[in-house]
Amino acid sequence: MKDTKHNSGAPEDPQRRTFLIGLIAAMVSFITLVLGGSGALYFLSPAWRGRKENWVAVGPISGLKEGDPIKIDFVQRKMDGWNVIQSPSSVWVVLQKGEWVAYDPHCTHLGCPYRWDANKKAFICPCHGGVFSKDGNVVSGPPPKPLMRYPTKIENSTLYILPEGAKA
Amino acid sequence: MKTILDWLDERVGWRKIKEVIFDRLIPKGVDWRYTLGSITLFFFILQVTTGILLAMHYSPSPDHAYDSVKFISNNVPMGAFLRGLHKWGATGMVVSVFLHMLRVFFMGSYKFPREVTWLSGVFLFFLVIGFGFTGYLLPWDQKAYWATTVGSKMVEQVPMVGQYLGSILKGGEDLGAITLTRFYAIHVLVLPALTLLFMAFHLFLVVWHGISAPPERTSRSGDVPLTDKDPNWKEKVKARYLELKHQGKSFWPYIIFKDTVAITIVFIIVAAVAIWKGADLEDLANPTDTTYNPRPEWYFLSVFQLLKYFPGSLEAFAIVLLPLIVVGILLGLPFFDKGPKRHPMDRKWLVLAGWAGLLGVIVLTVQGGRSPLTNPVVEKDPLIMEGKRLFTDLHCEYCHSLNGHGGTVGPALDGVGMRRDHNWLANHFKNPEKISPGTKMPNFNLLDSEVECLVAYMSSLGGGSFTAKAPRIFEENCTVCHKFHGVGEEIGPDLSHIGSVRDAAYIASYVTDPQKMNPDAAMQSLAEALTPDQIKDVANYLAQQGK
Repeated sequence: MKDTKHNSGAPEDPQRRTFLIGLIAAMVSFITLVLGGSGALYFLSPAWRGRKENWVAVGPISGLKEGDPIKIDFVQRKMDGWNVIQSPSSVWVVLQKGEWVAYDPHCTHLGCPYRWDANKKAFICPCHGGVFSKDGNVVSGPPPKPLMRYPTKIENSTLYILPEGAKA
Repeated sequence: MKTILDWLDERVGWRKIKEVIFDRLIPKGVDWRYTLGSITLFFFILQVTTGILLAMHYSPSPDHAYDSVKFISNNVPMGAFLRGLHKWGATGMVVSVFLHMLRVFFMGSYKFPREVTWLSGVFLFFLVIGFGFTGYLLPWDQKAYWATTVGSKMVEQVPMVGQYLGSILKGGEDLGAITLTRFYAIHVLVLPALTLLFMAFHLFLVVWHGISAPPERTSRSGDVPLTDKDPNWKEKVKARYLELKHQGKSFWPYIIFKDTVAITIVFIIVAAVAIWKGADLEDLANPTDTTYNPRPEWYFLSVFQLLKYFPGSLEAFAIVLLPLIVVGILLGLPFFDKGPKRHPMDRKWLVLAGWAGLLGVIVLTVQGGRSPLTNPVVEKDPLIMEGKRLFTDLHCEYCHSLNGHGGTVGPALDGVGMRRDHNWLANHFKNPEKISPGTKMPNFNLLDSEVECLVAYMSSLGGGSFTAKAPRIFEENCTVCHKFHGVGEEIGPDLSHIGSVRDAAYIASYVTDPQKMNPDAAMQSLAEALTPDQIKDVANYLAQQGK
């Protein structure tokens, strides 16, 4: 039927017509608001849901020696969405002025794994010869900034670090 | 503004489109029963919207599916609501598409010239059923796993080619990872694409032929009844339709208003149920579980029930022939019920057969829903289940033995729940060195939520000891409602194996205050009838059952 002559239909009351259109708009807005609103909260939530602090125990401090920095390997378990992932990692720990300092084990130049040289009393990067002092400052070579530090805390005489909070 | 609209009209032709779709006249008498198609269309839009959002946090692999669905419900803002909308929207869509079909059937709207509209609708109905079947495997919980197991076994009953069909459906010999990815691809890619295609065609035909007018008796004006013997009956049907159409109102806004009101009411109902009931998630799929009662989604219950009536030898008949007959009837309907007679009173036998069929489906569904659960329903503590899983994932048995299996580096864990309290266990998992200096147990840096699960599982291993009075206390107070090793009533769940899923502490809290542990519990508190020591005694006794 290709008949579209709409002037032959029942007489229209313009007021009723406007009223119905208003109601339709209200109902459609209601559904859109509920559905769109909850959808938007769902989709945009990563913007305001921060990361949960995930302190990692690296060991009892009674076992840590003062003096030269030591490298501690640890396995961090963390939530990745609905998954728990385990990532093996390590940290350089040193007692400095009565405070435990934990260094991110990567050179600040290009991320190579540096090591402690007990004779030279310095951290030495094997890639481009970067050298850091025990307090993390650049002694020589290309590194642009001091070693990154993890926040630390002691609880029940165990040393905890927060790898996500690395700061220069 | 006007120039912009004119510019667009010259290029898109929207004025013509508006005239054809929105200003078209809808025949007189089109009432609320005609909103069912629009409601179904709305449900499709709702399912697509919520489905896209759910897919953003879903992973179709047996390792992750269950956890990702749980994540949506528990961790993503509005996730539980959107899952609820998707689940109840699916239910609503099955109902609305079915009612829409019944409306068309009883009003004879599938007849000339709308036979092809009906056929495309029948295909859309099958697609909706396909959505249901592929959709509920995705959460990978017990219901998902077992319902799909049953579904694929049914396909395998088909003579000759059953095995091949089963393998194609499952993507292999067993129900597993490939089944899940295939179902997922079908659910989110294939079916929506086909549905869009058929829906576009269906809606095009609805506009092309116009919405069918309510049926009239063929002998309405007192003259000779119109039959297909009349060589001009098609022209007469068309002419009468035009007449009714010109007495009607335009689609916009009058008919759309009715549709929108119906859609809004239905949406409010579905949203309310989504908030109130949510979308449940049963325990993780477990192929070795023999205590589960597989039940299909309610809209498959009639088939489920029907299968009980066919003995083994006729099973193939029921599984192959019956669905074929149903499909044949649906597709063949406009071809064996032809001519101008549309009013139910002019098609008495067919309408009667329709009612009989409908009644049959309803009776079977109700009976299927009522069929008793053969296995006792034991509430499982999700924390313990989770702890058990973690125990396996962390390979605890490399060092610890349990029930005679496992390493000897650490102590055996049988009955550890009797020896260690919650605090000790929690501290032990968080920092083994601190609790037992010199221990070989590594610090796993477990997350707090993981420690909680492991503690629950360990505590469930071996309850405390119970006195000789415990069985007596149980008999006097509990068998009034609970069956126990074949004795007692069946008002509450059978408790013969309760110890395999609940620890003594849980049972004791439940007996003291059932509603605290399970808001829906019908059980009365026994805190006044029994002393705390007696409750503990009975709880320890029950915790030993079914170990």
